[in-house]
Amino acid sequence: MPDSIIDTQTLRSLVRPDGVHRRLYTDPAIFEIEMERIFGRCWLFLAHESQVRDPGDFFRTRLAREDVIVTRGRDGAVRALVNRCTHRGAQICSAERGNTAGFACPYHAWTFGLDGTLNSVPHRQSLPPDFDIKDPRFALVRVPRVESYRGFVFGSLAAAGESLSDFLGPMRSVLDNLVDRAPEGEIEQAGGIARQEYRGNWKFHHENANDTLHPSFVHESSVATARADKRDFDAPAYDEHQTHTQMMSNGFSVREWQSLALTGYTSGHTYMGGFYKSGVLAPGRADPISQEYRSRLVAQHGEEKTNAILGEDRFNNLFYPNISVNAQYQQIRIVQPLAVDRTRVVVMCFRLKGAPDGIFHRAVRFLTNLNSPASMILADDVEIFERCQSGLSNPAPEWLDHSRGLATDRDRGGGRFESTGISELPHRLQYGAWLRYMADAA
Amino acid sequence: MSDLKAEAEAFLIAEARLLDAGRFDEWLALFAEDGFYWVPAMPGQSDPFNHISIFYEDKSVLAMRVRRLGHPRAYAALPMTRTAHMIGSITAEPGAAPGIDLACRSTVMMADFRAGAGEGRADRRLWAGQQSHRLRRTPEGLKIVLKRVDLIDCDAAHGVLSVPI
Repeated sequence: MPDSIIDTQTLRSLVRPDGVHRRLYTDPAIFEIEMERIFGRCWLFLAHESQVRDPGDFFRTRLAREDVIVTRGRDGAVRALVNRCTHRGAQICSAERGNTAGFACPYHAWTFGLDGTLNSVPHRQSLPPDFDIKDPRFALVRVPRVESYRGFVFGSLAAAGESLSDFLGPMRSVLDNLVDRAPEGEIEQAGGIARQEYRGNWKFHHENANDTLHPSFVHESSVATARADKRDFDAPAYDEHQTHTQMMSNGFSVREWQSLALTGYTSGHTYMGGFYKSGVLAPGRADPISQEYRSRLVAQHGEEKTNAILGEDRFNNLFYPNISVNAQYQQIRIVQPLAVDRTRVVVMCFRLKGAPDGIFHRAVRFLTNLNSPASMILADDVEIFERCQSGLSNPAPEWLDHSRGLATDRDRGGGRFESTGISELPHRLQYGAWLRYMADAA
Repeated sequence: MSDLKAEAEAFLIAEARLLDAGRFDEWLALFAEDGFYWVPAMPGQSDPFNHISIFYEDKSVLAMRVRRLGHPRAYAALPMTRTAHMIGSITAEPGAAPGIDLACRSTVMMADFRAGAGEGRADRRLWAGQQSHRLRRTPEGLKIVLKRVDLIDCDAAHGVLSVPI
């Protein structure tokens, strides 16, 4: 690894048990090291297998800072190739997804297979006699490691390191739960992909997603609006009153947020309990769609296992550094850092195979309500991320505080920590992980 | 200009002025009780239930949106977005479905800007696309049964859009 302009000792000095230094959000040099040591090393979500279901299918995404094409080869293997011709550097694929026999560069027609191999170049006679088309340096650059867990395909830019299974750790169960919710035991990505950009550091997203104190303040306007709404909940509604439910649900009292469990690991992964307690998204709903869905699960798994699957009431499950999974509502969010002060959030939902259509419609609506640029909920979070970025351009004070709940975190052993809501335990675990990636293995 | 087109143009201009003036209550009142506001998230989107949208709201949800914009702590609307609409290429024809008296299509461009949003955040943006209005004649004037805006970049990454287009 190249020498960094910021030494390990300095990096260590930027994180304390009760806070972090503002440079973590503002310093482009820190961002460069994060891309190298965190995003260059962790397992990052690439695609769901349903997005590259058939041989020849491809799907474009971003892995750390690279434009990559995820492909399904004729041999059935899923690979991830960097979208850059090895001849003159042109982007070879401009479609977001599709099915193809291979990739031909538009510039001089170097043509690559689905596994990245260079298959043909024009005007061979003009190349030197020792030009070897099978030389690996002419193949599209492959993401060194690609592994799949329950249909979720991850890639790592590091050629060696911990396995995907070890990286996911006990939080694997979240992906299990999402897939197990499908009566046919299979899910597929559908309903489109929402993309939102904000002018703030990538770390704000995960700090906020398990912060159970902010909704009372940040989301006050949507909660108050929903509370004042005089709708007739028995009247049929195009959205089953789900938009109202999603606005209203952040209206927990401080005591209710306090009772919510927060759990996390030294890996930096954390999760929070569910808080949709009424309305169409509440667990255990008895409306006809929910009942039909439950009966299909019971037919497949029996009562006991169905209760276990549907009883898993969690909201945001955060994988460090950049994935948020909500199994209950079939959502996955990917946080893509673009620059020290610019981030894209990519969100998609899944269809549970064998579930009634109405369950998928709820997932689509969930995604629209929460992640559309016009969201009446996330808009206020994003506003706060941008205000933090803007505020942190001021040099003083140097430190941001995350001491809330510090005295009440409980170490359960084996790297597991617990707390009740209203604690900044997730922040502390995230920055513990940050420090290990940034400073320990340097 | 045909009477129908003149009527459509007058309606569309009046609607755009209400939005630009931030008179969202009056804008909301332009919708029929069964009216919908739809901004798809996919070019040519035909289905608001199996695919996400940017907005897909009936009048009751739109009413919440308008009320929220007036809340003193709706942070994404503080400062409130200023907008300027330009409506052009208007065509109008008689409605072809029951309850629709007038169907018009137009091109919309909306520039937006948030004054005082702070360093690096005060850029002006431009939203553009085709819009279609299905209108019903009522004793209170024309009412919107469906307003649909197809943005040219509906499937791209966006920042927050807290006001309707």
